[in-house]
Amino acid sequence: MTNYIIRRLLLVPVLLIGVTLIIFGMLQLLGPVERSALYVRDFPKNEKQIEGLIRKYGLDKSFFEQYWRWLNGVIDPGSGERQGGILYGDFGYSRTASQPVVDLVKERFPNTVDLALWTVYPMLSVGVWLGVKAAVNQNKFIDQAARMYSIIGTSFPTFVFGLLILMLLYAKLGWFMPGKMSDWVSKLIFSGQLKQYTHLLTIDALLNLRFDVFWDAMRHMIMPIITLSYINWATFVRVTRSSMLETLRQDYVVTARAKGLKENDVINKHARPNAMLPVVTMAGGSIVGLLGGVVITETVFNYPGIGKASADAAANLDVVTILGLAIFSGTILILSNLIVDIVYAFIDPRVRLA
Amino acid sequence: MAEKILDVQGLETQFKTPDGIVHAVNGVSITLDEGETLGLVGESGCGKSVSMLSILRLIQSPPGQIVAGKAFFKGKDLLAMSNEEIRQVRGGQISMIFQDPMTSLNPVMNIGKQMAEPMLLHLGITPKEARERSIKLLESVGIPRAGERLKDYPHQYSGGMRQRVMIAMALSCNPQILIADEPTTALDVTIQAQIVDLVIRLRQELGMAIIWITHDLGVAASIANRIAVMYGGFIIEEASVRELYAHPTHPYTLGLLNSLPQIQRKGRQRLYSIEGMPPILLQTPRACPFAPRCRWVREKCWQQNPMLESIGDNHKVACWVDTTTGSER
Repeated sequence: MTNYIIRRLLLVPVLLIGVTLIIFGMLQLLGPVERSALYVRDFPKNEKQIEGLIRKYGLDKSFFEQYWRWLNGVIDPGSGERQGGILYGDFGYSRTASQPVVDLVKERFPNTVDLALWTVYPMLSVGVWLGVKAAVNQNKFIDQAARMYSIIGTSFPTFVFGLLILMLLYAKLGWFMPGKMSDWVSKLIFSGQLKQYTHLLTIDALLNLRFDVFWDAMRHMIMPIITLSYINWATFVRVTRSSMLETLRQDYVVTARAKGLKENDVINKHARPNAMLPVVTMAGGSIVGLLGGVVITETVFNYPGIGKASADAAANLDVVTILGLAIFSGTILILSNLIVDIVYAFIDPRVRLA
Repeated sequence: MAEKILDVQGLETQFKTPDGIVHAVNGVSITLDEGETLGLVGESGCGKSVSMLSILRLIQSPPGQIVAGKAFFKGKDLLAMSNEEIRQVRGGQISMIFQDPMTSLNPVMNIGKQMAEPMLLHLGITPKEARERSIKLLESVGIPRAGERLKDYPHQYSGGMRQRVMIAMALSCNPQILIADEPTTALDVTIQAQIVDLVIRLRQELGMAIIWITHDLGVAASIANRIAVMYGGFIIEEASVRELYAHPTHPYTLGLLNSLPQIQRKGRQRLYSIEGMPPILLQTPRACPFAPRCRWVREKCWQQNPMLESIGDNHKVACWVDTTTGSER
């Protein structure tokens, strides 16, 4: 088991290098002038100055030389300061957010994590539960209903569903609202009365024992949670159901029945654990999606997470921000896959001991 | 005469498929005495496994359905029991081992847990006692270092070992009947012999009755006291082992025995085979199911399906023709 995890961990840096190479490769599709945005905040108008920039940062050099400069940064011969260099945490300056990309991620990522945290549980538990129920009662009412739902869920787009939710629960009923927090909460944070231990608003609220703040945060998150669950349930129900149907036909399920086990135990102890493997893969993908930023949902509900930041950057052709966020999402993807692999090993002894 | 422990009468099982109703078992009647071993022989798809699965109500439903029949186990009809009652019988008094040991064990649960399950359920013992008993059982079926191997998973066992585990598990609650559904088919020949020897030894020690389903007449002869031959969902001949091999009567049984390879056969003689294909079980059979492939076929065979009738001591056959003389019965 330890060996397995170490082998997986050793792969991580290799994958990261691959991700940066591909993203940097895409950057080469731009001209040298646009690429200089990686190193400077303000774009000079003067042609001579631009020429100077290109020479200074080696933007006319070979691909690998540029890649290395991008990773390692360039030391300004005049001031001796390092400029750029993602290895040193400098991902450039985000024009749209008016702050360095790193700070943008630091500010927005906790919000995305906060949302993901409260979405994962309802998403997985209800999706899997309904999928198992549907498979066990194949062709009965609950199965038909679950299948119908999964078709609607996959074909009815998020932004339409999100807008409907927004119209109903915010505009009409006024129960919940878009955004991240009410003004009084942001004042509370700004004045330092709410200590930020984790930067996740809901968790911090609980740690400060401020249940009114927690409730305010929840009221802002419930609509995106509903929307994300709605869209993910559809796929989870479908995958769980088909995997479960497959498993229920296996010989060891007959063996379990022949032992005299109760039908509930046959399903929960023998069939379901075996049916979970494809679901875990799917769950990994969904969690990556949630952490990498749910662009549409965050935009519809004006939720200030990574997804909204990406959408804003893309709308303003802010190359630097998009690049930084792409590398960030890539890293999240690699780490999540690592976690999925490890969870796999816990579920399936054949992986663990191979 | 020994007490009848199992008395199956007129068992019929059907499967609903998109092509129509498959008549898998068409009125099978079988008895089993205490401590007796019955060999249930027939080709693939003739209803051997389905009839035995039906007795324990392990048929997947839908599409399967038991439409008629009774199965008395110690005087109680298994087919009329409540779900709760039949669960008490399954794995406790009647247990089963299956054809493919590679897929019959749960791949994500360790052997110890799987072994303990029926014991905890039927014997009312503690997990610790179940563990100790598992070790004893595994040792008795010839698994070395059983204590350590309890925490191993099925994929760490070979095919033969897994079948031994299945056997140990099936015998863990001292069943009165063991139903073995082609337990040696998926194993290679040397392992087959080991498994048969193991079951024979355990039968002597524990004295349970056995129904041994197989399509291998050699294996059936080595383990059974009595053999029932099935074809197309019917039992077409039933006799003691000695009688059946000495005086096979039904044309199908004759064909089966002739198609066994024999070591004293000389030259480049081709192995005998029965002409034609096994029946498709979609229509309700009115004619004798073997009629299309039979050398002795008569007009009568197409009109009426013969019943299983006694033709001598412990010998029953379902055929209109007396194959020893070639005349109609």
